Amino acid sequence: MPRFGSWLSRLAIPFLAACVLGWGAAPAVAADTVNAYSIWPENWARPMFQEFERATGIKVNFVRFSSGEALARVIAEKNNPRVDVLFGGPVETHAAGIKEGIFEPYKPPTFNVLPPRFRHPEGQWVAIADDPLVFMSNTKFLKEHNLKAPASWADLLDPAYKNMIQMADARTSGTAVTRIFSVLEVYGRDEEKAFDFMKKLRPNVQLYTKSGGGGTLPVGLGQAGAGIFFIVDALDTKAKGYDVAISFPKEGIGTSAEAIALLKGAKNPELGKKLIDWAASPAMQSLFAKYKINFVPAHPEVKIEPSLAEVLKGAKIFPIDDAFAGANRKRIVERWINEVLNPK
Amino acid sequence: MAAARTEGWRRTLRDPALFATVITFLDGGQITLGNLVAILRDGNHRQAFWNSLLLAALVGLCGTGLGFLYAFAAVRANLSRAWITALDAASLLPLVSPPFTSAIAMIFSFGPRGLITYHLLGIKGFTVYGLHSTLFSETLTYFPIAYLTLKPILAAIDPNVEDMAFSLGSSRWRVFRTVTLPLTVPGLANAFLLLFAASLADFATPLILAGNSFPVLPTQAYLQITGLFDLKGGAVLSFVLLVPALVVYLLQRYWVSRKYYVTITGKVGALTTIKSLAPWARAPLLSACLLLAGVILYFYVLLFYASVVVALGANHAWTWRHYQVIFTEGLKAIRDTLAIAGAGMPLGGLYGILLGYLVAKKIFPGRQAMEIVSMINYSLPGTIVGIAYLIAFNDPPIVLTGTGLIIVACYVFRYSPTGIRATVALLQQIDPSIEEASQGLGAGSGTTFRRITLPLILPAFFAGLGVVFIRSMTAISATIFLVSINWTLITVRILENMTELSLGPAAAFSILVVVIVFVVIAAISGLLRRFRTPGALEVTSILGG
Repeated sequence: MPRFGSWLSRLAIPFLAACVLGWGAAPAVAADTVNAYSIWPENWARPMFQEFERATGIKVNFVRFSSGEALARVIAEKNNPRVDVLFGGPVETHAAGIKEGIFEPYKPPTFNVLPPRFRHPEGQWVAIADDPLVFMSNTKFLKEHNLKAPASWADLLDPAYKNMIQMADARTSGTAVTRIFSVLEVYGRDEEKAFDFMKKLRPNVQLYTKSGGGGTLPVGLGQAGAGIFFIVDALDTKAKGYDVAISFPKEGIGTSAEAIALLKGAKNPELGKKLIDWAASPAMQSLFAKYKINFVPAHPEVKIEPSLAEVLKGAKIFPIDDAFAGANRKRIVERWINEVLNPK
Repeated sequence: MAAARTEGWRRTLRDPALFATVITFLDGGQITLGNLVAILRDGNHRQAFWNSLLLAALVGLCGTGLGFLYAFAAVRANLSRAWITALDAASLLPLVSPPFTSAIAMIFSFGPRGLITYHLLGIKGFTVYGLHSTLFSETLTYFPIAYLTLKPILAAIDPNVEDMAFSLGSSRWRVFRTVTLPLTVPGLANAFLLLFAASLADFATPLILAGNSFPVLPTQAYLQITGLFDLKGGAVLSFVLLVPALVVYLLQRYWVSRKYYVTITGKVGALTTIKSLAPWARAPLLSACLLLAGVILYFYVLLFYASVVVALGANHAWTWRHYQVIFTEGLKAIRDTLAIAGAGMPLGGLYGILLGYLVAKKIFPGRQAMEIVSMINYSLPGTIVGIAYLIAFNDPPIVLTGTGLIIVACYVFRYSPTGIRATVALLQQIDPSIEEASQGLGAGSGTTFRRITLPLILPAFFAGLGVVFIRSMTAISATIFLVSINWTLITVRILENMTELSLGPAAAFSILVVVIVFVVIAAISGLLRRFRTPGALEVTSILGG
């Protein structure tokens, strides 16, 4: 397009030169820098890492990936790890990593204070937060269909929700795996009944999303009527100004721990351990409220922020049994793909 | 696998396809067809395979059709410069933005509560997920490739040739059918192939729009790797995609090679006015082009709007906050992306014309294999290319992961086929007698290349360079695995922002990418005009030639 005028080319020459110069300037790396892949979104991880640097003087150099991408990457880089720590992410991501032998067991000082479900017995990972699932629905949608916010799993089977529910795809999302194991618990681990429910729910599902929070925006906008999400994502949607209602099923719903782990062959293991010490202690977890991060702290001495506690009041939340989930995850997800996602 | 890794690294730089093939057939050190058979036996994968083919063929057809319409209007409708600039600008928008940005705008516009389907038309319960919207979004995103491929070819057809047919008494339709159209056949075939391959490799658009009822292979491969951590399964799925890519390539080659289409003869006739378009046909043609441009503009206005309000759909107060965010927290991504695109641009342009020249001019053994390999590199799903690069260059002897160089290499090798094909298409239009005349006058082959051939294929150089730059700014599928602690990219940040529900920064980043690419393209075109050799091919657009 020559018609854009030659004054633009005059602007562009210095611009192109700047590109070339920028290429030469390699990023400077300070002596005390620990490298991490964060599964937490950047707007939560960044303030945490800035506080860590303020407290210890150690800088955290990080990039954010979704749990599946982070794990695939750590496995691919196994022989020459690029980072020291895998930060955040639902614990089944870390559980899947143990089989690949990518972690270096490490027990931080707070290890013995943590409840057993918040730590791997050998210290392959430790939990830094807890994240229950919730139902989230669009208020306008509920009003239009004369519905109350769903208070039972069976409420979601209402024909009014036909093709209007979004939830995560079990192939990529830890949220979905937690959700499926929640349904299993609700039905007393009777797989037939649990899968029968999920198959009945299928016609109401508009989309199984790649990421756990993928459906929050459509629900916020009213493109979908309701969905099942982690509480952090749901409360974040509400905080953005979208008119959504958060509710819990009376039968109960599962929760998943968020974990941190040291990588085998890390180049800065001592600094990585310091980051884990800090993240697994009240030092970090008492900062959640300050930055409006709605995780439930894992450390028993850190109080839940009052407004979060208010949301959780009266909710029946149960932990997903680690050993049971780990042993059956692959089989259950495959069954879900074959019978629920792509019914024959 | 271990053997494949040590042996495979050298060839993987040029050919990740080979690596995918190796992984496909290696099962615990034993060569087997079992992996492939297992995939083919799975009904869901078979369905996804046919869906991919259907989608790619439809995108190829619709995109080539729209591209031809656009190119014909631009070249043959006697439009004023302002009109052509407007058409160019609208067609460039989808090309210069990350592919999923139009997908996101679609979701906003066409869902059960979409701006168009619900608020404008009052339709309730419209389903946005499926073949129809994936096709629509991919066609809009990729038709500019067809436009840019076809426009220079149409422009290079001397109107005198059409004039001769008119003076022999042919009707306009007959001239179009028997002169204009056959001369554009190589361009049409090129455009279809490029669109087919682009659609076959695109995982981001189906990921957002295809829903659960219309699975396609690139997305399945991506989910297989990132979701089930099954690298081998993902590689096998990608390998299956090579087969249709190869078939279309061979068909196109066989078909096109039978056509004869030299139009630049060096014998310049008197300038003539273009009269190949009937006056009554002009209005509908222009309306169709304007409608298309309108749809594209609407999507980008929506995107811009999302970047300047607090939260689209919830709080529409004006704010510049999102731009503040990207220029503080996102500054590193912007700097890295510019550096990588700036380095890849000249390399990609050079690589494109070198390979294109070798393929088109010099008969040497393996030249077809070379061309095929470079096309495969382009049509392979980016996910598998990214993973192949990651594995191949993570261990000695060549450690490149975590560097900017690996991203540059990936872009150059992956996106040079546009330059290669532009070079080939241009060279096929140049009568060999021009070069023969030069050599007859005593010039060596070096001088002939420098003084005759090079100026003629210079537009292809800029086409290749432009595409590599644009892709470096907008592509995501391969490089999502290549970004690292030290080098990150704007597109990856956009996808992250979208999953983090930060629509505002995502939209602001997208707008920034569009602006940067527009400025750079305009600048290159300015430079090109300044240095153009007198008498060389008229440069109508730096991207198309």
